[in-house]
Amino acid sequence: MEHLTSETLARLVDERPNPDERSHLHACTECAEELRVYRFQSESMGELTALRPPAGDWESLEARLVSEGLIRTEESFRRFGFAAAPAWMQAAAAAVLFLGGTGFGLAVTSHDGGAGTLSLENMMVPVAQISTADEAAQAVQFAEQTYLQALVRYSQLAGGDSEPRFEDPLSRVAALEGLLAASQEALRLAPADPVFNGFLVNVLAERQETLRQISVSGGDNWF
Amino acid sequence: MNEAQLIRKAVQGDGAAVRSLYERYSPRVYAVVRRIAADDDLAHDYAQEAWIRAIRALPSFRGDSRFSTWLHRIAVNSSLQAVRRAETRQKREAPMPETIAVAPPRSDALLAQKLEWALDHLPERMRTVMILHVVEGYTHDEIGELLGTAPGTSKSQLFKARGKMRELLKALNTPEDREELEVWSI
Repeated sequence: MEHLTSETLARLVDERPNPDERSHLHACTECAEELRVYRFQSESMGELTALRPPAGDWESLEARLVSEGLIRTEESFRRFGFAAAPAWMQAAAAAVLFLGGTGFGLAVTSHDGGAGTLSLENMMVPVAQISTADEAAQAVQFAEQTYLQALVRYSQLAGGDSEPRFEDPLSRVAALEGLLAASQEALRLAPADPVFNGFLVNVLAERQETLRQISVSGGDNWF
Repeated sequence: MNEAQLIRKAVQGDGAAVRSLYERYSPRVYAVVRRIAADDDLAHDYAQEAWIRAIRALPSFRGDSRFSTWLHRIAVNSSLQAVRRAETRQKREAPMPETIAVAPPRSDALLAQKLEWALDHLPERMRTVMILHVVEGYTHDEIGELLGTAPGTSKSQLFKARGKMRELLKALNTPEDREELEVWSI
C-alpha cells in the first residue's frame, strides 16, 4: 500500500480528505497516526507564546527615539533642574521664550525697515516683576499674541503671502537655532541666572519638539 | 491611563507614554520579528526598526483597527522588508534559541523550544508563511498580499513547511528526550 505523501498530510491538517484519502486513512494506521502528529504540530505552533525582548532593549530604543526627535524624556528636563522649578517660573520662562523668539525675528528682519509696527520696547514683559501664577499666565498670553503678530510680519516680509505659515517647522528650527545661540551666550555671562536657564531649557524643548514634528511629517506611511 | 490616552501622549512625544506602549506590546512584537528573523541579533535590530517606524507613523493611526493589530502589521512589514534587504543569509547550525518565552507552561517549555528551533531552520519563505499563518493567524489572502504572491502559493508553501518541520523534529529526537516528546518519535 502506498502511503500518503507529506504534502497531502500537511494539507489534511486544514482540509477534509477526499474519498480515496479517507478510505486510506481508515485502512492505514501509520498514515492516520502521522496525520495526528501533523495536527498536533500545527496546534502546538499556534500556541507558541510571545517572547520577551533581550535586556537593555528599551534603553537602546529610547536612545534612538530621542536622537531622532520622536520623544522627549523627563531626563532632559531634570538635567537642567527645570522640573523642580515652581510653575510660575516655568510660565515666566515660557513668556521669555516667546519674547525672545519675536525679538530675534525682529532683529533679523529689521534691515527691511518694515518692522515699525512692532518694537522690542512695546513687547517687553517685566519678567522680573512676575511673582504669581496669574501674572505669569497674563505674560504668556501677551507673549503669544505678540508671537503671532510677529509671524504675520514674517510672512509679509517673506513675500506678501497673506496667510502666515505658523506651522512651518523648518523656519521654526532656524529661529530656534538663533535663540539657542543667544541664550547660550547669555548663560556664559550669567551661568546661575534662573531665567536664562529656564529660557535655554524651553528653547531646547521647543527645538526637540519641532525636530520631532519634522521627523514625523517626513516619515513614510508605506505600511 | 487607558490606551487611547497613552497613544495621544505618545503622539506628542511623551517618552513615558511610549515606554508604556512598549512594555505592553513588546513581547508580541518581538515574538513575530524574532521568528521571521530566525536570529537573535537580527531580531533585536528588526524590532527596534519596527518600533521606530510605528512611533513615527503614530500620528496617522486613526483607531480604525485595534492598536495592537496596527502595530503588529507594522512589525511584520518591517521585518519582512528587512529580511528581503538582507542579500545573503548564513545557514545557521545554531544551538537552541536563547530567547526567553513569556511564561510558557513548564511542561510545554521543551516542546516550544524545539518548535522554535525547527522554525529557525526552515527555508526563509516557508518559515515566513508558517509563522504568519499558523502562529499569527493570517489568511492566505493576507499573506499573498504581504509577500506579493498568489494565495495558492502561500498555501503550497505552508504544506511544504509542515512537511519540513516534521522532518526536522523527527531528526531532532534523541533517546533522552524521546520519552518527553513521544509524539514526535512515531
